[in-house]
Amino acid sequence: MHGRLKVKTTAEQQEAKRKEREKKMKLYNAATSKIFQKRQGQEYDQEALELTAQILSANSDFYTLWNYRKEIFLAFKEKSTEDELHKLFEDELSFLEACLKGNPKSYGCWEHRCFVMLTMPCPDWDRELMLCNKYLEYDERNFHCWDYRRFVVKRAQVTPEAEFEFTTSKISSNFSNYSSWHYRSKLLPLIHPDPKHPGGVKDDVLIKEFELAQNAFFTDPNDQSAWFYHRWLLGRAEKQLAIDCVYVSRELRRVMVRLSKPAKIGADLSLQVSLDGVQCTGEWTTPANSNDHSLLWLFNLTAPLDGNEHKVMVAMEGSSRSCTLKDGDEKASSVDEVKPGTLFSYQLSAATSDTLTQELDACQQLYELEPDNKWVLLTIMLLMRAIDPLKYLKETLEHIDTIIKVDPCRTNYYKDLRSKFLIENAIEEQGLSAKSVDLSNRELTTLRHTEYMCTAERIDLSNNKLSSLPGCESFQCVKELELKGNQLKSCEKMECLPLLEDLSLTDNSISTMEGLRPLTLCSKLKKLNIMGNPLCEQDDFVEELRNMLPSLDTLIT
Amino acid sequence: MGTPVKDVELKDSAPQNLLLDKHVAYIEAYSAKKDEYEYVMTEYLRMSGIYWGLTVMDLMGSLDRMSREEVLDFVKGCQHECGGFGASIGHDPHLLYTLSAVQILSLYDGVSSVNVEKIIEFVSSLQQPDGSFYGDKWGEVDTRFSFCAVACLALLKKIDAINVDKAVNYVLSCMNFDGGFGCRPGSESHSGQIYCCVGMLSILNRLHHVQADMLGWWLCERQLPSGGLNGRPEKLPDVCYSWWVLASLKIIGRLHWIDRDKLVRFILACQDEETGGFADRPGDMVDPFHTLFGIAGLSLLGERQIRGVNPVFCMPEDVIKRIGVSMQLL
Repeated sequence: MHGRLKVKTTAEQQEAKRKEREKKMKLYNAATSKIFQKRQGQEYDQEALELTAQILSANSDFYTLWNYRKEIFLAFKEKSTEDELHKLFEDELSFLEACLKGNPKSYGCWEHRCFVMLTMPCPDWDRELMLCNKYLEYDERNFHCWDYRRFVVKRAQVTPEAEFEFTTSKISSNFSNYSSWHYRSKLLPLIHPDPKHPGGVKDDVLIKEFELAQNAFFTDPNDQSAWFYHRWLLGRAEKQLAIDCVYVSRELRRVMVRLSKPAKIGADLSLQVSLDGVQCTGEWTTPANSNDHSLLWLFNLTAPLDGNEHKVMVAMEGSSRSCTLKDGDEKASSVDEVKPGTLFSYQLSAATSDTLTQELDACQQLYELEPDNKWVLLTIMLLMRAIDPLKYLKETLEHIDTIIKVDPCRTNYYKDLRSKFLIENAIEEQGLSAKSVDLSNRELTTLRHTEYMCTAERIDLSNNKLSSLPGCESFQCVKELELKGNQLKSCEKMECLPLLEDLSLTDNSISTMEGLRPLTLCSKLKKLNIMGNPLCEQDDFVEELRNMLPSLDTLIT
Repeated sequence: MGTPVKDVELKDSAPQNLLLDKHVAYIEAYSAKKDEYEYVMTEYLRMSGIYWGLTVMDLMGSLDRMSREEVLDFVKGCQHECGGFGASIGHDPHLLYTLSAVQILSLYDGVSSVNVEKIIEFVSSLQQPDGSFYGDKWGEVDTRFSFCAVACLALLKKIDAINVDKAVNYVLSCMNFDGGFGCRPGSESHSGQIYCCVGMLSILNRLHHVQADMLGWWLCERQLPSGGLNGRPEKLPDVCYSWWVLASLKIIGRLHWIDRDKLVRFILACQDEETGGFADRPGDMVDPFHTLFGIAGLSLLGERQIRGVNPVFCMPEDVIKRIGVSMQLL
């Protein structure tokens, strides 16, 4: 029951209403039992149409009755002349229009209309298109009608260009029409496909669309439709699946691979590992020990790697990467370093940098007029990220502080966004093969892109605001993990870190022994610092902890 | 200049405390008044109505007030020879009501009292070559039905009865520029539909396809100044979106992106202090549908007087645990 206001009524009014309803109910019950009886007897006649019409015009969600009507129409189709049929179906379309007037959001009505149009001889699709125009005049956001329109358009052979024009006219009469912007996002790649980026749009067309969106948000800067569309125009180039990194550990007899996008080995692709030119057999698993889609994959070599030099090659269709483990070395990795500031811009990079700079200028103009507008602030930040995330970092962080003030409802969203920006910049600056990653003192509230730290041996996340470590299972090479001064309650997923030797959990929120249990699987863990956790106030916890983690050399409490 | 924000204003006199006893009494009374107008007129969705009522009672720890025997007899009576369930006795089989029936049976641990093989046959027979699902033999396609089919089979532990890859690909073809999902390819994003698609991908362990940060942003932008959530941009807030939006955010691990306290206040303001139950918005008529989604929303927000709800199935967490259904949460 949506949008039905509760009104205070007197006892008298209530009684009158009760009586009226009782009468209605009697008629309703009589009609429905008659209908079910007739259907049981497979009576497909005019009377059945009339009875079901009575009920459906008041209650168009009674799906079983629409089904009965469908049966009746199919039966009539067998036995009636063309003229009779024409009249019958025309009447049904009028009946449906009457029902839709009362309930324009009835799934049953729109669906039945599709059935009628697909079943009747010589359906008039153009008229249906007019009907859609009419209903979208009443309510330009009725998604049932938009969907019906797309159903009609397909059959009436309306071109995407014509539909695109339709959305233009809808938007120019009212910018605040999310449905139209949405439709444009579907039509644009059909009309102007970008041969270089599948799913993308040609640059000159893109510029026109940017102008339209700008017009919209300069007219009404608080209307989210155009901003969402603008964000889409900024686009994201689809990455090709490739092997971005190969790492070999002599000690673990293990190969680790990072892909360019999440995939499931065995389902989306097959990866072959060869050791010194000989193909290896074995199982792939993810760091979290599952076989789900993942960026990181682990492969255990069955043969031991002796102290000599070995060459490991990982190959998939159209791509391969080799890595040479030198004589006496414990590990080796192969990864392409990228130009700082470009690694994560793929998330926002379909447009050329000239276009992005123009957009940034326009948004900054608007920002001067509308200093409290969160949409323009957010868009400015995203443009800065796309153009040069390193150069603009200071300004971006200032904007985050402002946006939290003007839109406090979504504070946590903005804080997580800031964390993502800072992590991206740290990875860009410290490089993809950094042995030590420093992410300390950044007020991080969450983790992103942990897969890019898979070869780091020391990771410093101290003095942040982390209450969990999403994706920490990717820290496959970490020996020293510094987590001091966060809000962690447990060591969830740390059981997946095979090389962890030194863990600092100083000043966190661990209050139970259970929270440390994952560490029992970290066979190399030698040093643990849990000073300043609520757990430390419990009696006998040291002894208990020693029993749980017998291989620890150093326990600091 | 510009369009005013569509929203409601919460009055100071609106309820601010959870009226659990009243809600229990409301649902109990609702299901007892079988001859009333409202009840009769909603017969076409009875099976779902019973699922809403039983689930909310279970979440409030009062399932024992409902009649297990009576419900199970009714459910059994709604199964057709094809295996599917109708909304009521004599109503046609449909995936929507088949899921509701399976949810009710699971709640009561009574799945074995119906023909399970036939249900599986019915559900899998509705999958189309493109991976989509018909709602029934008449051929309406909608991503809601993809969710119904997958959720049904998950509860019955028979996911492999359908082509999972194709089912996933169809749902992905309904993904939009904003990271959300619509009814069919080309359809606009809608929070209810997003819940179905994200829930379905969660059950099938394919959440990596979701652009979680993009979608999470769109979803948290559903929160209006009143604290309530709408289902699409520029729409009014509605308690049922406390469920569709919140559950989706929970599944993709971004529930904290909305303002919890403001939303709690909005949901509580939608209670009817006289009759019990929740309405879509403060001051409107209550119904069992909004009562379930109000209570389930509060449960996701951590209200301790309500039992934990599973964000994918909208059933008590311990029921899902008992059945042993697993799902992916980011």
